[in-house]
Amino acid sequence: MGKSIIRTYIRKLRFNQGEMTQQQLADEVDVSRQTIVAIEKEKYSPSLELAFRIARVFDRRLEEAFWYRNGDQTK
Amino acid sequence: MDAHAVCYYTTGINPLNSKTMSYREKENLVNIFSGLLITGVYAWMVYQRQLAGQIDLTVNYNKWGEILLIFMGISIVARIIIYIIFHIINAIATRGEDIPKEDERDKLVKLKATRNSHYVFSGGFVLGILALAIGMPIYWIFVAFVVSGLLSEIVDNTSQIYYYRKDL
Repeated sequence: MGKSIIRTYIRKLRFNQGEMTQQQLADEVDVSRQTIVAIEKEKYSPSLELAFRIARVFDRRLEEAFWYRNGDQTK
Repeated sequence: MDAHAVCYYTTGINPLNSKTMSYREKENLVNIFSGLLITGVYAWMVYQRQLAGQIDLTVNYNKWGEILLIFMGISIVARIIIYIIFHIINAIATRGEDIPKEDERDKLVKLKATRNSHYVFSGGFVLGILALAIGMPIYWIFVAFVVSGLLSEIVDNTSQIYYYRKDL
């Protein structure tokens, strides 16, 4: 089993939300801006609770903000 | 190989792309330097007393307990003072920027750093026991405590800086 990764559409969602800044999103979900940066770069997988909170900011379902990709998968 | 390349290959961080230092990174740097400063100054003072013949830590093991307890007290007070100074300087330098609240990623970084520091402290403890087993003087176990305690703290803070720089 390869390395599993949580992929995200946050950057795109922020853009669609009138270029919402990382700091604004961070304030909305009560984390630091660095945490949003790490999630966007897919270096850090958020907890389920934080993932739900982020999706809720954009009024989306969880799987519209994040998706799971197993490292073994090619696409 | 230049310094930038060495940094990149040893840490995986490209210093040419490095960001400005975050509050957490600065806090950890202050912790490292204050730990080194406090331990260094106190160890030097104790060593001077040992050289002057006021105490003999090679035979008086109870004195180690007294010295380590005093060290804990001094360390706490000194750190509080250093923290206050750090916060004042940081507030001036960042023009009163808010201190970021601790979130789940900060807790994960701390957890991983604590794990690393425990490895170092446990290693130091085992080395101290080994030193006793091969016939070294008993006071070596106390030296092992102090040295591994300092090293584990450095590893803790360095690990945090590393994880923050790597974006975890």
